[in-house]
Parts: sequence; C-alpha cells; structure tokens
Amino acid sequence: MTATKVNGMTLSEQSVLGAHAPRTQRTGHSLPFNDELHLEAHRWLVDEAYLLDAQDYDEWLARIADDVHYLMPVRVTTALGAGYSTSPGMAHLDENKYSLSRRVARFATEHAWTEDPPSRLRHYVTNVRTFRTDKADEIVAESAVLLFRSRGDVGEAATVSAGREDLLRRTGTGWELARRTIMLDESVIRMQNLAIFL
Amino acid sequence: MTDQSVVLQDVRQGMIPAHIYNDKEIFDLEKERLFSRSWLFVAHESEVPETGDYVVRRVLEDSFIISRDEMGEIRALFNMCLHRGMQVCRAEMGNASHFRCPYHGWSYRNDGRIVGLPFHQEAFGGEEGFRKKGQTLLPAPSLGIYNGLIFISMDPDAQPLEDFLGDFKFYLDYYTKQSTDGIELRGPQRWRIKANWKIGAENFAGDMYHTPQTHTSVVEIGLFREPKAEKRKDGTTYWAGNGGGTTYKLPEGSLEDRLRYVGYPDDMIERMKEQWSQQQLDVIGKDGFMISAASLFPNMSFVHNWPRVEEDSDEVLPFISIRQWQPISENETEVLSWFAVDKNASEEYKALSYKAYLMCFGSGGMFEQDDVENWVSLTNTAAGSMARRLLLNGRMGLLENGGNVVEPLTPEQYSGPGSTRVGYSEYNQRELLLRWADHLERPARAAAQLHVGVDPVSAAPAACATETAPHTAAAVPAMMSQEA
Repeated sequence: MTATKVNGMTLSEQSVLGAHAPRTQRTGHSLPFNDELHLEAHRWLVDEAYLLDAQDYDEWLARIADDVHYLMPVRVTTALGAGYSTSPGMAHLDENKYSLSRRVARFATEHAWTEDPPSRLRHYVTNVRTFRTDKADEIVAESAVLLFRSRGDVGEAATVSAGREDLLRRTGTGWELARRTIMLDESVIRMQNLAIFL
Repeated sequence: MTDQSVVLQDVRQGMIPAHIYNDKEIFDLEKERLFSRSWLFVAHESEVPETGDYVVRRVLEDSFIISRDEMGEIRALFNMCLHRGMQVCRAEMGNASHFRCPYHGWSYRNDGRIVGLPFHQEAFGGEEGFRKKGQTLLPAPSLGIYNGLIFISMDPDAQPLEDFLGDFKFYLDYYTKQSTDGIELRGPQRWRIKANWKIGAENFAGDMYHTPQTHTSVVEIGLFREPKAEKRKDGTTYWAGNGGGTTYKLPEGSLEDRLRYVGYPDDMIERMKEQWSQQQLDVIGKDGFMISAASLFPNMSFVHNWPRVEEDSDEVLPFISIRQWQPISENETEVLSWFAVDKNASEEYKALSYKAYLMCFGSGGMFEQDDVENWVSLTNTAAGSMARRLLLNGRMGLLENGGNVVEPLTPEQYSGPGSTRVGYSEYNQRELLLRWADHLERPARAAAQLHVGVDPVSAAPAACATETAPHTAAAVPAMMSQEA
C-alpha cells in the first residue's frame, strides 16, 4: 500500500507539507536478498529499530537527512473503488527535520511527562524489500513494522501496525533516511498519543 | 440503579467525588440522561462540500450518515437499513447518490428516501404489505447548524440549537467565522485514550492553571514564544450560554497590532474587521484578550494558539482545532480532532497553520501528549474504593464562605458577554459539571418507536397512514411528491 498513488501522485507529493521532499522513486523489481544494497538497507532498518526501542533519539536524528519528509497519513475507510484510503489534507505527522528535531528536543527536557517514566518499546521490523532508483546513491526500502508500547505496570499495552516506504540515501558516513511514508493499518489509533516514532 | 443525588449535591458545591471519572453506573446515567438529549457536534458543512458527499459519525453506539443530498441540503441519517438493520454505509467518507444495503439490496437516496426494494410486489405484496412511499432512513431526531457546524440531538423536542448555544455564539465566531465564508475543516485524526470524556472537556473549558506545569516542555524547546508559561494567569476565563473558555492577555497596541502579535496576516485582519461585531473586535483591540481553549457543553472543544513553527524565525502562526470527546465507556474516549482554517486565508497561511496544529495538538501534538498522560492516569486512579471517599476540590476561585477570590470584570473592563474573570479559577469546570448534574438528575422520557412500512398493532392495514415522526416528515419535504 505504501507505493499507492492517487491520481498519479505519491502520498508524499500530495501531502500539505511535503513540497521540499526528495522525489526519487523505485525502479524495477525488488533486489535479491543477498544483494549488497538490500543487506545494507536491512541492516540500517534493524539498527534503527534498536535506536527507537532505546529512545536514543539524538543518535536517530543524526541518521535523518536534512531534507527529510516524514509522513504518517490519517487512514480512512472508504468504499472499494473510491481511489483513496487516506484523509485528504490531513496527517498524523507531516514533518521536516526541524519539526522532528523539536520532538526529539522535547523528550530531552525534564518535563515531557508522557515519557516519564519512559515507555517500554519494541519495534518489530519485517517483510523488508529493497529497490534501486535511478540514482546510484539512493534506494527505496519497504518494511512492515509492529510497535509494542507498554507504559506503567498493569495498564494495557498498545500496539501499532504499519507499512513503511523509505528513501535511503548514501552519504560519506553511511545511509540516511531521506523520506518515509508510514501507512498505519488502523483508522482509529489505539494508543494515547504518538510520542513515538515508527 | 444507585441513587446518585448525594454525588450530584457534592458536585454542585464544587466538591467532586473522584469516582465520577471512572464509574459504570454514572456512565450509564450519562448515556440515558445526557447524551440522549443534548446537542452534539457531528461534522462541519465543509466536510461534505459537494452534492453526494458524506461522512459517517457516531453518537455513542449510533451511526449516522451526514450527507449533502441532491438539493444541497445537509442530512443526518441513522445508518441502519429499515428491513433487517444492516449498516447501509460502511465507509467513513465518500460520495454517493445512493446507499445500497449489502444484505438484501434495499437502496436509499442520499436524502434517505427508499428507492429500491427488491421483489416489493412478490415478497411484500407491494404497497399493501409494505408502504414504501415516503419511507426514509431514520433522520436524526433533531438537526441544527451554526456557522456550518452540524449538531444533532437525540431529542426530537430539543430546544433550537441557537438558543442552546446562546451567548457562546459570540465566542464561536472567533474560531469559525473569521470571514464571511467561515472555516474549512480537515481530518479528523481519531484515536482512543483510556480516559473519561469529561476530563478533556473540563480541561479545555477553563484549566489555565495546568499550562505552566503540564506544558513546560514546549516552552523549553522554543515552540511557544511566551518566555514563561505562567503568562496564562494574566488571561481570563469566560462562561457564556452553554460554553466557556480561556484567553491570553495581549501586549499593549491597536487591534491590528494585537492580531499581528498572534501571527495573523493583514489580509485576514481586514476580513475579521468586516466580519466581527464591534464588541467582538473590542475584546481584542480594547480589552486586550485573545481567545485560546474553550468547551461547549457537553463534549466539544476548541483550541486557538500561536506557536513558532519555523527554524530561525521568531514569527508565530495561529492555528484552530475543533474536537469532540466521543465517549466509549466510563474509562475510554475516542478523540476526534480536526484542523480548522479560514476558507479565505492564503494557501501559504493554511499550510503553516496546519503545521502549527500538527506540532502542538492532535494525535501527535506536543502539547497534547502530556495532557493525555495525565488524564489516563487520573481515570485509572478514579476506579477504586478510595476514590469513592475522596471529594476532589474543584472550588478554585471560591472562598469557603462562597465569596469570590476575584470578582468578574465589569462591562467597562470587558466587552464580551457572559461572566469573565482574570486569573486562575475553576468556574468554567463547575459550569460544565452543573449542567452535567442537571441532566443526570432529570429522568429521560422514553423515545417514541417507529413502525416502518406497516403498523399492524395500532391501525387497520387498509386505513393507516405509515406512522411517521414529525421530524421524519419535515426532513423530506420537497421531493416526496415527485416520488409519489
């Protein structure tokens, strides 16, 4: 679903705040699982999952490109054939590097109550596949992610299931996330807030 | 059912038995006596701009299709097939001329009128067995619209919406009528929180006191320009009609200076000057107050704030959000949070205002994240036996002898309607809970039942007209004759 286009446009292109986003798209079939590029993308995603589980957000932000577009549309239930399944003009998150940096900075204050005590987080990342693009240093990686979030002692844990399409870019120091579109699998989120990253 | 009169008596004194925030019996009473008759927000006209557009919204367990019919009229239709009760619309938004029940194929126009009834003659014996003419999906018992905000009530005898809103309309206009064309709504974001619905409504109505503590972090990261969040205590709380809210004190300056201070561009200011009454302009230009959060009884809230959203810039940008605290149970609420913006604002303004909204409020908003953490915790703690012993002190602003800590502003000091005070207090939370207590005390009347298509009980088949509630008839006026 993450590759879904509406009226020939990607969700990043349609989003309200994505004008700055890189527009590189996948080409061809998914890469073999022993392809060096696939292995690097997979490793990057797993490393990222561990950073997010540990809430090591400074380190995470260092792996985010300056021109990033980080988009989580609002999913809506529409009739088969309606041609869209996201809320027009509305997202849960429609972020650039600056707004992501504010979110990270907030967690670093001593007053971000929603994460004090911190949640116990586990990002399960699976179904990874990778595509070349027409740029040698950029690849598209798709993955499924399931987040388990537990707060407090006996309160019910929350889970979020989503598919992601990422644009990863090779730099002198490694790969960076340049674009991420997160397709939640629920229209009503069963989690008290999005004080997490997917 | 337990007699709740002592609880209501305590609430009226501003002493809140903590268990009302997590008590199944109280919630059952709210369903029976409050949500069964109060006006409730369901959608805005801008969500269904074109003929055939619809959204599906709930009032408790009842699903309603809010549609714009072929004549351009707004309808609120109970989403249940007249035959076997299947939902006729299972999407949450879209555009349709008809809704067809997937079970047996009955179909309805987007104004609710039945048009297709397979094998009407063979199965029902035609009109003699099921009077199809004039049948519609059940309309909401009452429907009212103000500034494009669509409200329904489950009470067919609800007071007119505008009477219910009363002087709160004065304040609603700041959020929803900044120019002649009003707002457009986007969203909603929807998410469920394990918190009682009343807590959010009370918080938005008047809780300026929580800002310096709960929201310290957003000031620290530079999202909020005001150097210290304590600035809130210079603002006011007001209560008018069936709603109330909070304001911030603005720095000295003209009306234009003050609107610019919160980030409005000159073209929007010009339209506000044309749109708003002198009194509405005076609250800002003369008295120096700018509306912020507010709640309309029972479960609709508003936010207006002006954060700093761009790097290396001191500019602030205002945003407006509208929300509904949809009750799921005594300890769970579905939040529906919309972004609202003046239709005539520039596209650039709309985009930045949307960014301000996303950063501050809604499912990912940085203000909101810490609010919900508190409300979930409060709801959890309210479930136990100790919470039944504790009367929370909700009397802020009142002395023990009933005197006021701060007197209301006089008409010379303040141009708006209602009762307005500077500083921290819980008058507005008490106003909400007083109305809540009034509803919970008053028994509900049994709703009339509708016999659809035939009434074998009370009338001879050949003679009876199909029983139709007055509002059903009123809801399908013009086109009935065409169908006949």
